Amino acid sequence: MAATTLPPEPTVAPDGAVPVPRRKRRRKRLALNRLRDGLIVLFLVLTAIFLLGAVVGDPAESLAPPEATQEQVDRIRSNLGLDRPLVAQAGEYYSGLVRGDLGESLVIARNQPALPLVVERLPSTIRLTIAGLLFSVLLGVVPGIVAGVRPGSLVDRVGTFLATAGVSFPYFWFGQILILVVAVQLKWVSVLPGNDVSAYLLPGITLGIHHGGRLFQLVRSATLDELDKSYVTVAQSKGLGYYAVVLRHILRNIGVVLATMVGWEYARMWGGTVFLIEFTFAWPGIGKLVTEAAQRHDFHVVQAGVVVAGIFVVVANLVVDVMSAAIDKRVEVS
Amino acid sequence: MATVVIVDDPIRLGHRSWLSKVRGRGWWGWVAVLVLIGAFAVAGGLISPYDHTQQVPREKFLSPLESGSRGLHVFGTDELGRDVLSQVIAGARLTLFIAMAATLIGASIGCLLGMLAGYLGGWVDRVVMRLTEAQTAMPMFLVALLLLSSLGPSVWNLIAILPTYIWPTFARLIRGETLRMRSAAFVEAAVTIGCRTRTVLARHLLPNLASRVGVLLAISTGQVILSEAGLSFIGAGVQDPDVTWGLLISGGRTYLTVAWWPTVFPGLFAGLTVFALNGLARRFTETGAR
Repeated sequence: MAATTLPPEPTVAPDGAVPVPRRKRRRKRLALNRLRDGLIVLFLVLTAIFLLGAVVGDPAESLAPPEATQEQVDRIRSNLGLDRPLVAQAGEYYSGLVRGDLGESLVIARNQPALPLVVERLPSTIRLTIAGLLFSVLLGVVPGIVAGVRPGSLVDRVGTFLATAGVSFPYFWFGQILILVVAVQLKWVSVLPGNDVSAYLLPGITLGIHHGGRLFQLVRSATLDELDKSYVTVAQSKGLGYYAVVLRHILRNIGVVLATMVGWEYARMWGGTVFLIEFTFAWPGIGKLVTEAAQRHDFHVVQAGVVVAGIFVVVANLVVDVMSAAIDKRVEVS
Repeated sequence: MATVVIVDDPIRLGHRSWLSKVRGRGWWGWVAVLVLIGAFAVAGGLISPYDHTQQVPREKFLSPLESGSRGLHVFGTDELGRDVLSQVIAGARLTLFIAMAATLIGASIGCLLGMLAGYLGGWVDRVVMRLTEAQTAMPMFLVALLLLSSLGPSVWNLIAILPTYIWPTFARLIRGETLRMRSAAFVEAAVTIGCRTRTVLARHLLPNLASRVGVLLAISTGQVILSEAGLSFIGAGVQDPDVTWGLLISGGRTYLTVAWWPTVFPGLFAGLTVFALNGLARRFTETGAR
């Protein structure tokens, strides 16, 4: 039945040169397509940030003291270049982006360029996201697989319950409870952020509860879907033991899917959760800087933070997409 | 008339009554939680034991189940002697109002764009999909901060911003379902008898998407509750005379080491609500059309 639908074998050219297999070329094209789409999305995101800023972000009003006259407000506005046409501002924004210049901080650090302020905090935030990712994988992926291959088991039911709780309860609230119980009551770890490894423990676990819960749900259903596939039946019917089926067949088949899911969750962290966790734990990263800047109407710093986070989200998604297109031979050109 | 055609269609969706889908153990517990929270929101002051704004400075930080001059404080009192249970009940109304308003707006936008993209295809589809991806790639927490710090934090600004969190999910789901149903017999029949595109989408496609939209509405409402709580928690959301659970968690934060109850109970209720919504949504999908 299947024999008639098999693709023709790559033919050897008369001069003996073996042409590049069609499938490989197709995968390369797919990866390139996704790269292109990702760059379009990045451009859209950066443009949206500019437009939002241009529409609502008139810092002149909020920067001026309440008793300032209209002329004084206008002077601040023209100093900031906000009285010029939108197209001119857009041009300056894009050329600034390329040069890494996103305006100056107006309140938090007077007249210092905004982008370096954010980039300075970047390593701290990156380390926190990596800690969060480790805990997410630990709490989400491993139990997710165990629950998925044994649906209805105790691990599955308890895990599903905990995972739903993990995604449902406010994660910053979990963070507060962890601070209270583990750091204040039991005094096991310090909550003062530092270079100590234990400082990563509570914020990392808090991120892990939320993102691990989502990963658990995704991984569980991905594993569950594999159980019905005929290769599992074949493997079982040829007498392969249970663990061999799981380790040698199922894991191999969902490997790329798992990596994709983990990558998506990492992007989601940059979409917001890590910044809220930074605020909760007074972590000296971008989130803390930007929330402070937002409270004091320091527009350019907030904007620089949004741009940096946006780039991380897009790049993380892009890396996942391009890699899964390059690795997984089953991904089709769509 | 369309119904008769759908029966033969292999991809019929949302056809059975919703009650048959939630049959099974456990779902009534979630419904009970939601009914309770709904009662908090609707009845508010009628069921709350005390006035949630009443301050009794001498009775600050009473532990849960401790009694003061007003009587029993089941959830204790906060730093100004306000009754925490009354605050939690008062917070339900605005929390749910913001969540439902924002979810409905986001769902409408997402359904409309998703149906147009899936039904019309071509450049409309490509534009909508790129927009969806761009929206998903926006670090919305920080963008919301940017907007709220410029526009000023207010309930209406929150309701304007929060739909952006959820519309892409609706657009993507509805687009996929519409694509699957576009060539179904009942759609072709509707087109053949001369229905306009608007009629096909609203009268023939939308009813068939209802069950999927319902599930996503529940999940999205939960997401919006959490997002609003996060924004209010850092002080960029709802402001003081108004009460939401997120703001209450934020208020208790300063005194966490002195008293845990002003922080823990509002978070517990926010979490329980979202938990119930998610649990109900899962029950729908597991016993649903799949």
